[in-house]
Amino acid sequence: MTPPALRSLGSVLLSLLAGTASAQPFETPPPPAAPRPLAIAAPAEQALANGLRVIVAPREGVPLVTAMLVVLSGSELDPPQLSGLASMTASLLTQGTRRHTAPQIAAAAEALGGSLESGAGWSQSLVTITVTTPKLGAALGLVAEVTREPTFAPSELDRLRAQTLDALKVSYADPGSMAGLTAARLAYGSGAWGHPASGTPASLPRIRQGDLVALHRAAFRPDRAVLILTGDITLERALALARTHFGSWAAPAGVAPPQPPAPPTLAAGPAVAVVDMPAAGQAGVVLALPLPPRQGAERAAADVLDAVLGGGYSSRLNQEIRIKRGLSYAAYSRIEARGQSGLFQAALQTKNESAAEVVSLLKDELDRVMQTPVPADELASRKLTLIGGFSRSVETTAGLAAAIRSLVASGRSPAELKTRIAAIEAVGPEDIQRYAAGRFGAAGRRIAVAGVSERFVAALRAQAPELVVVGQDQLDLEHPGGLKRE
Amino acid sequence: VNSRLLAAALVAASLGAGLFGAPPAVGAAAPVAETLKVPRIAYRERKLGNGMTALSVESHASPTVSVQVWYHVGGADDPDGRSGFAHLFEHMMFKGSKYMKSEQFDRLTEDVGGENNASTAEDVTAYQAVVPSNHLETLLWAEAERLLNLRVDAASFTSERAVVEEEYRQRILASPYGLFFEAVRTQPYLRHPYRRGVIGSIENLDAASVADVVAFHATHYRPDNATLVVTGDFDPRQLDAWVDKYFAPIPRPAAPLPRRDATEPAWSADRTITVKAPNVPLPAVATVWLAPPVTDADAPALQVAAALLTAGESSRLNQALVYRQQIATQASFSADLRAGPGLLIASAIAAGGKSPAAVRAALLAEVKRLADRPASRSELDKIKTMLLTQAFSSRQTPLGLGMALADAAVLGGDANRVNTDLDDLQRVSAADVQRVLRRYVTGAHSVAFDYVQGSTAK
Repeated sequence: MTPPALRSLGSVLLSLLAGTASAQPFETPPPPAAPRPLAIAAPAEQALANGLRVIVAPREGVPLVTAMLVVLSGSELDPPQLSGLASMTASLLTQGTRRHTAPQIAAAAEALGGSLESGAGWSQSLVTITVTTPKLGAALGLVAEVTREPTFAPSELDRLRAQTLDALKVSYADPGSMAGLTAARLAYGSGAWGHPASGTPASLPRIRQGDLVALHRAAFRPDRAVLILTGDITLERALALARTHFGSWAAPAGVAPPQPPAPPTLAAGPAVAVVDMPAAGQAGVVLALPLPPRQGAERAAADVLDAVLGGGYSSRLNQEIRIKRGLSYAAYSRIEARGQSGLFQAALQTKNESAAEVVSLLKDELDRVMQTPVPADELASRKLTLIGGFSRSVETTAGLAAAIRSLVASGRSPAELKTRIAAIEAVGPEDIQRYAAGRFGAAGRRIAVAGVSERFVAALRAQAPELVVVGQDQLDLEHPGGLKRE
Repeated sequence: VNSRLLAAALVAASLGAGLFGAPPAVGAAAPVAETLKVPRIAYRERKLGNGMTALSVESHASPTVSVQVWYHVGGADDPDGRSGFAHLFEHMMFKGSKYMKSEQFDRLTEDVGGENNASTAEDVTAYQAVVPSNHLETLLWAEAERLLNLRVDAASFTSERAVVEEEYRQRILASPYGLFFEAVRTQPYLRHPYRRGVIGSIENLDAASVADVVAFHATHYRPDNATLVVTGDFDPRQLDAWVDKYFAPIPRPAAPLPRRDATEPAWSADRTITVKAPNVPLPAVATVWLAPPVTDADAPALQVAAALLTAGESSRLNQALVYRQQIATQASFSADLRAGPGLLIASAIAAGGKSPAAVRAALLAEVKRLADRPASRSELDKIKTMLLTQAFSSRQTPLGLGMALADAAVLGGDANRVNTDLDDLQRVSAADVQRVLRRYVTGAHSVAFDYVQGSTAK
């Protein structure tokens, strides 16, 4: 931390200004008072006879309830060549049922004050709405109807397909999202977990109504579903409402589709790829690293490691890349769940000319955390940053529901809400270094850079002679053998 | 709105006083609210001797407190030849003061489990922190300290200016529609400084110096130009004592507050503007009209009109252009209301293969239909229920509650608007919606934008 220089023009003039204010005698910040304890309660849970789990987390003081129906499977079930099937299936739930058209459903939901949203991700498909307490019964009626009785009309499929293809055109024109999609593909190779969950320009036209109906019939079943209710609600009332709207939902004969095997941690294929986007106004840079399922205390250790590297403004990546060097507006990292596994991603955007330099800085920071223990004061502050962010994320009914959803989608207990802060507090520097040394080595790292390649490819090749370059028009993120369409 | 941090950009977006910009409270007379007991926001307001306003609301739902300082200065106050400066200055407020090191503000917030961000809009600059409530006094000290004693050195200025230039590239150049929406929000103005935008230009940012930072701080960062908002877990008597201790002694400068000399002449003709960019995945169109200030009596009816057209999947524009006609990937009508003359912006991104002219025609036809024929009672009720639910959702946290209050006080000019704005929205009738659309839209001149692929200088 550099103290401000006192001889610049700015400081001199500001000193004059300050000189008029001798009334401020306080040269050091006043210390904090005694902390008030922060407690997050474990949600209550009970299952209906048909196997539907009902999870309730009350929050007092606001007349709002978030209702979320989660089915515990998602984009990992997309068959080869049909990337985007689970996403399309979940998105189309709200676009027509046996009783109502898509416009009727949207109007009914919004007359209740909320928006009915549906979609799929990894290991989860969901329908959700947030309404004021008196509207909850009617809102749950809609959630149940779209979950249980969707029609997947071909006209609605065609409409959503066209919209999704247009949305892909926009995200493929954005260097940040292009780099993210490519890095995930590099990290997982051709297996079940590396394709784009939203589909590709090649896969979306292959999806037929029968594919949607078959996936819905197999996967949307009460014994693989969870109803989450957060906010102004009790368990008793939640169970009564759940029985009314979901009590007659019967599981189909036969077993639910099995999850594919966990993704690999060492994918075949290139380690560094450049997507050439000749008109991009910046370069998008993403370093991805697959993490195997984490056990016990490993989970919190990895989360704190992620916070040290790229969680919050003062993390190491932002320190090195933004604060010290002015190379980006924001450099950050996150661990995204893929079933019980995880995908670590460090990401940023920078001017095209700086792309190779920031790749080198990313790698240096991963090396450093493997080689050197995190100093105690830095570790303490990053743990508090992580705890604070978690605490604030559950201050809203929707945030609380999302936190429960991500736990159940990863096969974990919602009761971890209550124990998460203690688990983070227990992480020591040796836990982080051990985890980093075992998991963050160069062999697993995959790097994607999307931008105007002529401005950085030579410098990048000096670091990574084996890198591959793909033109943005040749990119095929579903191609099993690589990234390029043949 | 441009923020210090990307992550909070969505939260900060409501600073612009757009559709949900001033999340309204509920009136006892409101039909929607009859089924709910909705307490008024019981805020406290103090005016200090030096002209500073201090607002607060207690809420003990979590052991956190939000401390916000909003300065009545924004991109419209950029010095000549320094467009983007108010926003660049906002970044410099984290770079140290007489008794704080550079980035020490992050040590006092993030490092103790809190967070901070700041954002600059056309009319205001907002500094927003949330901390565990036992750190309230420390944060009050820190906000007072950087109001009084800002220090900036040349090295941190140069480095942070590079960050802001990367922010410009990320928002305007790399984002496929960044250049378009920046043009739509600025280029319609003939004379008003809103014409320059908040993010500015690389050239003007490069021209800025540390001397500009000093002058800007002296001119605009003074207690009579600031509003402190504290919301969450605190003791009111203790808060008052700390405000007296840290903020009350800050002297009010002898010079009067600068008045922004800014007007926009009535538009006397329709205009068209074509914006070209090297990276346009799908063409876009917009048509823009001048709006009255956010404090105008017509503002609530314009906000309801915008919500009827845009809020939710069942909104008129989404149903017509995206769902039925399938000629747009998205379509919206926003009431971008500001302290001065704002903008009414109808915009749409074409669906693949659709003609921009057809998209614009469909967009304008829907706006005209709402001006020509009254909305039904049930459609109006739907919109009012959505606005109410949105208000509850955004006020669940100390940060959201504080933003609603600050928005009412600083942009609306009266903190009590936090309790009256939804009353005003609830009173809007179908005839009011027609009247304001005829006055400001169908009966007024406009600027039409086309966004197309083409080479531009970077």
